[in-house]
Amino acid sequence: MTSTPALYELRGATRFFQLGDSTIKAVDGVDLSLDAEEFVAIEGPSGSGKTTLLQLLGALDRPSSGKVFFEGRDLGTLGDSELAELRLRSFGFIFQQFNLLSTLTALQNVEAGLAPFGIASAELRERSLAALSEVGLRERAFHLPGQLSGGEQQRVAIARALSGEPRVVLADEPTGNLDSKSGADVIALLTNLASKHGITIIVATHDAGLAAQAPRRLAMHDGCLVADGGKSARSNKRGSR
Amino acid sequence: MFYLSYLRSELLRRKGRTILTLLGLALGIALVIVITALSHGLDRAQKTALNPLSSIGTDLTVTVKPEGVGGGAFANRTVSTDLSKLGKAGQHFSYDIFSSGSQTTFAQSQAKSVSSIPGVAKIATGLTLTATHQEGKVPKITALFKTGGQQLRVSGQVKPLSAASLAKMAKCMAKLEKSRAPTTTTTNATHGGLQPSQNGSPTASPIAKGSGPIQACMPAGVRRFSKTITVPRQTLKKQVRTPQTNIKTSSYTIGGVDTSRTDMGLITPAQVTSGRFLAKKGGREALVAGAYASSHKLKLGSTLALNRTKFKVVGIVQAPLGGQSADVYVPLQQLQTLSGQKSQINVVLVRATKGAAVGAVQKEIEKTFPSAQVASSKQVADQVSGSLVDASNLAKSLGLALSIIVIAMAFMMAALLTLSSVAKRVREIGTLRALGWTRRLVIRQIAGESLLQGVAGGVIGVAIGIAAAAAIDAFGPTLTASSTAAGSDQAVLPGAFVMGQGLARTTTSQVALRAPVAGSIILIGFALALLGGLLAGAVGALRAARLRPADALRQVE
Repeated sequence: MTSTPALYELRGATRFFQLGDSTIKAVDGVDLSLDAEEFVAIEGPSGSGKTTLLQLLGALDRPSSGKVFFEGRDLGTLGDSELAELRLRSFGFIFQQFNLLSTLTALQNVEAGLAPFGIASAELRERSLAALSEVGLRERAFHLPGQLSGGEQQRVAIARALSGEPRVVLADEPTGNLDSKSGADVIALLTNLASKHGITIIVATHDAGLAAQAPRRLAMHDGCLVADGGKSARSNKRGSR
Repeated sequence: MFYLSYLRSELLRRKGRTILTLLGLALGIALVIVITALSHGLDRAQKTALNPLSSIGTDLTVTVKPEGVGGGAFANRTVSTDLSKLGKAGQHFSYDIFSSGSQTTFAQSQAKSVSSIPGVAKIATGLTLTATHQEGKVPKITALFKTGGQQLRVSGQVKPLSAASLAKMAKCMAKLEKSRAPTTTTTNATHGGLQPSQNGSPTASPIAKGSGPIQACMPAGVRRFSKTITVPRQTLKKQVRTPQTNIKTSSYTIGGVDTSRTDMGLITPAQVTSGRFLAKKGGREALVAGAYASSHKLKLGSTLALNRTKFKVVGIVQAPLGGQSADVYVPLQQLQTLSGQKSQINVVLVRATKGAAVGAVQKEIEKTFPSAQVASSKQVADQVSGSLVDASNLAKSLGLALSIIVIAMAFMMAALLTLSSVAKRVREIGTLRALGWTRRLVIRQIAGESLLQGVAGGVIGVAIGIAAAAAIDAFGPTLTASSTAAGSDQAVLPGAFVMGQGLARTTTSQVALRAPVAGSIILIGFALALLGGLLAGAVGALRAARLRPADALRQVE
């Protein structure tokens, strides 16, 4: 077990954005280690760099400096297509705005997440329907996003994120656009499915109630990791610089 | 296939944008097709109108410029009709006067020297004359003036004779009696009056000169009675009425055709629309241009009388526009005879050995015959004017510009719409990238949408274009093409010196406009639509491809 690398290993991970003359450090030298099958909450006010950190973790972005290792691979050195491959096979994303494709039905939205696998249409449909069944929306499969409630839309997004059997689901304010009831439902659904499939969940949120459910809580401020309430034995570095 | 269903969903669920793009492309393509078809049709119409020109196999037309404007060949050109020579009043007359127009005639033999110019494949000769036709009834023009026959009666008294005169007279008479007796015995009585002068006294001679011997005995007052009588002078005033005539004058052109050859000439069998070409032996046969035939009610088999020579109409022809067209064609020799221009021609038609040689041959002829006017078929065609040419030019210049503008606009619209769709879909694209779609997949999807729109737009556009072309075909507006015939330097001819000669004759040809849609046009239209789609797709896809997934996701919708 000790020979297998940590799920994530971040060393001084930094992400700048150039806005005119000023440089914004969205993520500023984060050192972090995460294990598989963890449920991690990243807390912090808006603009603290949660989303950018999630994007670094989800291979949507490369660090400006520092290293992000995922399963031992330095994401900064991978090419676009390798990153795309990683996103397809290893990561699932859930967004605050649900980000469903508005012209596609719930089923097609799930299929969109599986299509790049290049599986046959019949299997694609079968797996997508199965994923929708898991979130309890099988009968809503042919509805367009506009015909679904916010909670239902987020459940479709969850089905889409999980259908590819990823290693990690990265959720950015998943309850931000939902009322507390459906927010709680969505989180319950997400955590249940994640543990059932052995998927690591990383949630960025400023919802303290949601963060409280997470065994490991990270706090961010101005791009720095200010608190790590984690139980991870390997991660004893406190992020501050 | 998921990508296709995604594509279909995307296009179907964004109907407004899709329809706008489709219509833009379709209208652009339709316009291109219609304009291309129109200009094709116009070209064809123009060819139809000008076709005879090229099909008479003539590259160059050689005529001879008259020497000196208004002089020389033109000196004796006014047509005057001597009414008194037409016949008896009331008789119907019809005759034709031929003149060679602005083209000087020259000996047929001279044409041979043209054929010896290098580059000349063959030549044909012809005589194109302008004819003035007059017909009507011979008018009454005689006015009778009778003079003479007046009777003058003069009466007067002769002066009474004196006694001495009477005695003298009696003596004279007695003497006369006496002299007569011997004369009758010595000479023949028949020579009575002359004999005494031979041997009689000299005084007898005045007597002999008188009308009678008795007169000589009369006294002078009686012998010479004279009086001057003057008939009173009077001025006769009588109006001679100008004769009422119904003489019609019309002019037409007549061409003398070298019937020995049928491959080139003023007119060839190719222009015969009904009937047949002139027989080789050159009898009294005529070909009549369609327009002339209908306006003069001539049919196949009709008789055309030219100065009492009867020609049988054996064919109706579609006269070539331009250069040397004529209304009536008769065998060359017949026309030469009719017009009294034996062995004279005024046109040499030249065919060059090859198209490229035309220019050189033209120069050579002009050099060899300084007075020659050489016109190439192209120049003649350039002289053709009329709505047909206008429309054709319009279609060519404006149409081309218009279709380029429309196509460019359609392309631009498609590209802009795709761009705006990409801009609107930035988050969607970011999501797709987050879902693990590669850049290539995203580009393929976006470009696929545009391409499909291009295909659909092309199909619709082709359909609209074909329908529009069919509509034009159905309505088929008539276009006219006119060509000013004969002399190439008419502008310098003073208009006044010829009357009724119709020198600047205009040949008009009517052609119905058609808009034939060629298969190639459809293909081109379709290809254009595809290109438009691809272009729009490429623009959109490039924009999409440049997006970094993280940035795309950050975009707030």
